Amino acid sequence: MPFEAVNSKVVRARVSPATPVLARRGAMLGYSGQVTFRPVHGQGRGVGGMAGAALSGESTPMMATEGQGEVLYGYKGLHATLLELDGSAPLVCEADRLLVHDAGLQTSVAFLGSGGIRSAIGGAMTGQGLFTTNVHGRGSVALLSHGGAFPLQLNGTQVGVDPQAYVGHVGRLTVDLAAKVGLRDVVGRGSGEAFQLRISGHGTVYVQASEQKS
Amino acid sequence: MTYPPGNPYGGNPYGGQPQPGYGGPPPGGAPAGVPDTLDAQTLPDDDNVNPYVFCVALNGDWFMSKGAMLAYYGDVRFEAVTEYSSVQAWVAARFSSPVYVQDWVVASGRGKVLIGNRGFDLNSYDLDDGNLTIKARNLCAFSPQLELKQSIVPGFVTLLGTGKFIASSNGPVIFVEPPFRADPDALLGWADCPSPSVHHDAQWMTQSLRGMLSGALGRASGEERQYDFTGQGTILLQSSEVAREDPAVLRLVESQTQLLTDTQAGALGQRLVARAQQS
Repeated sequence: MPFEAVNSKVVRARVSPATPVLARRGAMLGYSGQVTFRPVHGQGRGVGGMAGAALSGESTPMMATEGQGEVLYGYKGLHATLLELDGSAPLVCEADRLLVHDAGLQTSVAFLGSGGIRSAIGGAMTGQGLFTTNVHGRGSVALLSHGGAFPLQLNGTQVGVDPQAYVGHVGRLTVDLAAKVGLRDVVGRGSGEAFQLRISGHGTVYVQASEQKS
Repeated sequence: MTYPPGNPYGGNPYGGQPQPGYGGPPPGGAPAGVPDTLDAQTLPDDDNVNPYVFCVALNGDWFMSKGAMLAYYGDVRFEAVTEYSSVQAWVAARFSSPVYVQDWVVASGRGKVLIGNRGFDLNSYDLDDGNLTIKARNLCAFSPQLELKQSIVPGFVTLLGTGKFIASSNGPVIFVEPPFRADPDALLGWADCPSPSVHHDAQWMTQSLRGMLSGALGRASGEERQYDFTGQGTILLQSSEVAREDPAVLRLVESQTQLLTDTQAGALGQRLVARAQQS
């Protein structure tokens, strides 16, 4: 387990020549040992790759940390949640939620939602976007959230999540954007809860304690 | 420097106990035994009310950052350090930093003063004939037994002597020992060790340059510049690399432009105008 929570907002990663890590650019707080940083362009070697990342806007500048030492990571005072991926299912989240992860993990860009014009409107209006990042493989990930992310376990049940509070999910889950757009929402008089992510299946959904993204 | 007992984090960076590594456990909410409603009697004496609010039991004078005061009980007056120093000559001697003087007030009288800083975590520190350099923007209050000096490192101040001070941090403070390199923005301060030197990550810069040349995004993130600590001591780190705007930085830089000749100052002015027009 290369990552360790120093406190609710800071993660310590032990870096060695065999286990480099990828982190969000600008997230390094400090380090000891012989460590070098290298900017990484594009979104990794996954299926979507760089072309997909550029198209979707799902490309957060990342950097590689190599060498031998201990590095502290934190970003803008956001809370960091540690996850261990066992390789059975990818982690799905927004690219800018990734604080740091094992460099051995693969990232790719994928569609979220059932598609069609309805989710296109939804993505535009919630600012949540149509694309998400999939993190594949076996290793550690630290996810950023505002106010801390808590896991919701799903066993064949369904849960509705505010798109702004949604952080990410792991497991065999289907995500459906339920839009209930009436005339009131268009003129800005709606309940403010017109959009919901309907998540069902088996797995874990991470929800943050705030509707603020960063 | 030791934590007072009853500190919400329970960490004791270097009192009698060994250094526990990178800080203590996260805050566990309000300390036990605090009633729901507080008044002048039930407020703690010189202790945290919760991780984000500190209560100073005032009896005499204290230096406080402007805007740090949330509320107070009792007979307390707040006066600007600049005005107060004309009445009390010792104030000017204790507070020897003209760049920061206009951001500070002297609270005098008897009572309880609650201090907060935008929901940042607050900690009190006891200096025992020591020195501690801290980011000026994060220093909230200090007792008049301490002496404040402006550090050579821009944006930092040094506290000298024996006394108590209160500082804020984004998230709990992390204590580390040198050798260590810190992001300048995440750095909160350092104690008992030599001033940092600047370390440039050469690999980062060459890689960034290559990125820029190949047309990809190669914006400087500041990651290439770190403060390098060596020797004995303790480094204080906070959980965020977001630097808050420090109004004193402008005055600080302006005071240093006196090193420039008139021609150089003119050239600098032109560059600054060009930069302001770009953004």
